[in-house]
Amino acid sequence: MLPGDLSELSVYLLAQSNDSFHAGKATMRRLRLLITIALAILPSVGFEAHAQDSSVSSEYLIKAGFIYNFANLVQWPSSAFAQPDSPIVLGIFGEDPFGSVLDRVLEGKKVNGRAFLVKRLRSAPDLKECHIVFVSSSELAHLAEAIHLVKGMPVLTIGEIPGFAKRGGIINLVLEDNKVHFEVNVEAAKEADLNISSRLLALARIVQEPAADGRKTE
Amino acid sequence: MATNHNQNIESVNPAKRVLLLVALTLVFLANVSAQNLRDVTAMSVEDLMNVQVTSVSKRSQKLADAAAAIFVITQEDIRRSGARSIPEALRMVPGLQVARIDENKWAISSRGFNGRFANKLLVLIDGRSVYTPLFSGVYWNIQDVMLEDVDRIEVIRGPGATLWGANAVNGVINIITKSAKSTQSALATAGGGTETRGSAGVRYGGMLNKGTYYRAYAKYFNVGPSTDPSTGRRADDKWDAVRGGFRTDWTPAGADSLTVQGDMHRSGYGETLTIPLLDAPYSSTFPNKGSISGGNLLGRWNHAFANSSTSLQMYYDRTNITENSLFTDHQDIFDIDFQHTFHASESQEVVWGLGYRSSHDGNNSSSVVSLQPNKLTLNQFSAFAQDEISLFDKRLRVTLGSKFEHNGFTGFEVQPNARLLWTVTRNQSVWTAVSRAVRTPALTEEGLRLNSAVIPPGIPQNPTPFPTVISVFGSRQFKSEDLLAYEAGYRVQMTSNFSTDIAVFYNHYTHLRTAEPGAPFLEVSPTPVHVVVPFVAGNKMSGGTYGTELFADWRVLPKWRLLSSYSYLQMDIRKDKGSLDPTADDPGLVSPRHQFYVRSSFDLPKHFEYDADVRYTDRLAGLNIPSYYSVDTRLGWRPTAGVELSVGSQNLLNKRHLEFVPDFINTSPTEVKRSFYGSVTWRFE
Repeated sequence: MLPGDLSELSVYLLAQSNDSFHAGKATMRRLRLLITIALAILPSVGFEAHAQDSSVSSEYLIKAGFIYNFANLVQWPSSAFAQPDSPIVLGIFGEDPFGSVLDRVLEGKKVNGRAFLVKRLRSAPDLKECHIVFVSSSELAHLAEAIHLVKGMPVLTIGEIPGFAKRGGIINLVLEDNKVHFEVNVEAAKEADLNISSRLLALARIVQEPAADGRKTE
Repeated sequence: MATNHNQNIESVNPAKRVLLLVALTLVFLANVSAQNLRDVTAMSVEDLMNVQVTSVSKRSQKLADAAAAIFVITQEDIRRSGARSIPEALRMVPGLQVARIDENKWAISSRGFNGRFANKLLVLIDGRSVYTPLFSGVYWNIQDVMLEDVDRIEVIRGPGATLWGANAVNGVINIITKSAKSTQSALATAGGGTETRGSAGVRYGGMLNKGTYYRAYAKYFNVGPSTDPSTGRRADDKWDAVRGGFRTDWTPAGADSLTVQGDMHRSGYGETLTIPLLDAPYSSTFPNKGSISGGNLLGRWNHAFANSSTSLQMYYDRTNITENSLFTDHQDIFDIDFQHTFHASESQEVVWGLGYRSSHDGNNSSSVVSLQPNKLTLNQFSAFAQDEISLFDKRLRVTLGSKFEHNGFTGFEVQPNARLLWTVTRNQSVWTAVSRAVRTPALTEEGLRLNSAVIPPGIPQNPTPFPTVISVFGSRQFKSEDLLAYEAGYRVQMTSNFSTDIAVFYNHYTHLRTAEPGAPFLEVSPTPVHVVVPFVAGNKMSGGTYGTELFADWRVLPKWRLLSSYSYLQMDIRKDKGSLDPTADDPGLVSPRHQFYVRSSFDLPKHFEYDADVRYTDRLAGLNIPSYYSVDTRLGWRPTAGVELSVGSQNLLNKRHLEFVPDFINTSPTEVKRSFYGSVTWRFE
């Protein structure tokens, strides 16, 4: 049995009435369609000029903005850099969700006289070479390993995995209601000898590692 | 015939023009898109935290993990599409057939077999299955939520039976609302227009204590009548509904979370109904009314262990249906599900679960519809296990699993699947799957009697001196319908602004439902004496369907996004040799072969937004419905963060068009009219 089967009678009755409504409207339909398509596309004209104040933006563009701000509002120990103008090395660990966005956002930007150097990390030991590590959500399985590797070193770990900060990461980016929020593990930052500005902490959600099993994974 | 021919020719040309125009514009604008990137380094952390983000890559990241044809409708998609009901929102999903029968009835299916009583699609709202055991389908006019509180709608085309069980044959729709914590504000919305005359909704969210959040909502709408195509006059398909509900999320300690939620609803609808009569004039057509009410209560407890997690969910759902002149029915459903996920090793994730479902039906018959027995309780037990094995540094994922189910009609049903996902590079993946799914019998297929029509005595079709009643009967011999599905897909995130995916499938069905003629018999009651020609539910149809679904999401500019999809469906279903069913035509003739959808979303200066979408649906030859284009537009304005105003139009292109006709119950279909609406939404922090 199929839709329409058992109401074939009604289908038959309707059949006569349907055609009359749609016949002979070809030209009108086509014209209307073109007008509507034109309407749909029209607003793009002269649109470039206003590109600066969007209320909606791509997630990773905004996250790149957060990373830049974190670099500004976190103080590394001087021992973390070879020279006063050594670049801030930013490593992306795992699948890169930024595409070229991060490179383009940070290109030519300086923080306290330091430029940025963005690296895609191939293996976990490379983490140690960085000042900031962005741990991609693809590395859920290697999270404990990554955190353990840079433990006690001045490396700002940034994640976007639920529970990242709770498990020893320093900053975790959280998406809530399509807005980016962030959690900070103050203990982990202290251990890494990183000084996070109070301005940043005021906006953060402070999380602690569970005392019972926080170290168990390591 | 001549008009039909014309329809075909002209349906091709505009399609090509649209594609050409869109393509040209895209090429033109692609050149400027590259240099446009907002300077986020000039923004403070506070500013950044206030930016609403949407993401192409987020969607595809989630998708990249699934070895199935998944499409996700986000809250932003719903808002920008101007959809005011769940069926309207579903129109954007590639490969789904969404058709409106009248203002309060819908036919929605995935990969073919559409109808008002379509039965191969499973729909869940926050984990609660909303399919009715009456016909194994969905009463779309009951299913509603506060659309502003929807987090996302996940649509899986193809079988999902291993995880979701019987009836997830051609697809699964998962409507997921936001957590109470994410709706911590007051919201009020009101609107009106030429179709939905008036609508209003309020929601309030708050915190009871640390870790305990709640929200409550209420909404109302009133939809005016459409146009009856047979008379060209106002139809009787008015509809109004009121609904309210709540959700509480409690997180007492880090490892536990408890959710309790519930809804109540009541609606009234109209239709033009034709019922057969035993006396002259042998049928009667009249404006009819019906009402539906009900409620549900759901509790879910999640617990996270060090290396595993469990979930226990229970719900109760009641639905009262009063279809005047036809049928009254009460359904009470109780359902409990347990699920456990754990890592068997570094590379293996195992999920297993147990479920029990009890549904109680009580009904009252009419001269047209009766269902035997009048009271029936059905018990269903299920268990499933699935193992996801990661190989080659997670580049290859193999998923093996099966559902085992026992139901009161057909006994044990086994529904296994095997899926393979290969992550080719970090932004490309290929998947393939083989699965079996069954569609278990509905109450009506076992115990229904529906008098469809009466053939008057003395006319050539009925040489007997008695009126002849054509009746549809259910049968206790009716078995499950079977599907063996082969699917494959490819997804690629080409740039951070462009992603696309393609899915192909071949489905092989056996034991599909037919209506087999039985021996005519004489019936003396009710009077006058009449002949009954029975058509009894049988399982004598089989065959294959194949098709493809393409989807592309392109953020052309930071402020311009284009979503487009195309789907192709070919159905090759035939009655088996032993079938005597005279009515079943090719179900391919009631499913559109080609469908496409393009939506353009602009963010304009001064916080204006402009959205337009074009939808094309191929003709339904079996229902004599020509192909149609439908265009919806929306202009939105958010003068402040808390206020949103929008005006829009639906079906702008033609004055009105017919999308589908009903089956089984002979109500008059009505046309979708060109309509305009306006709405305002306030959010108070």
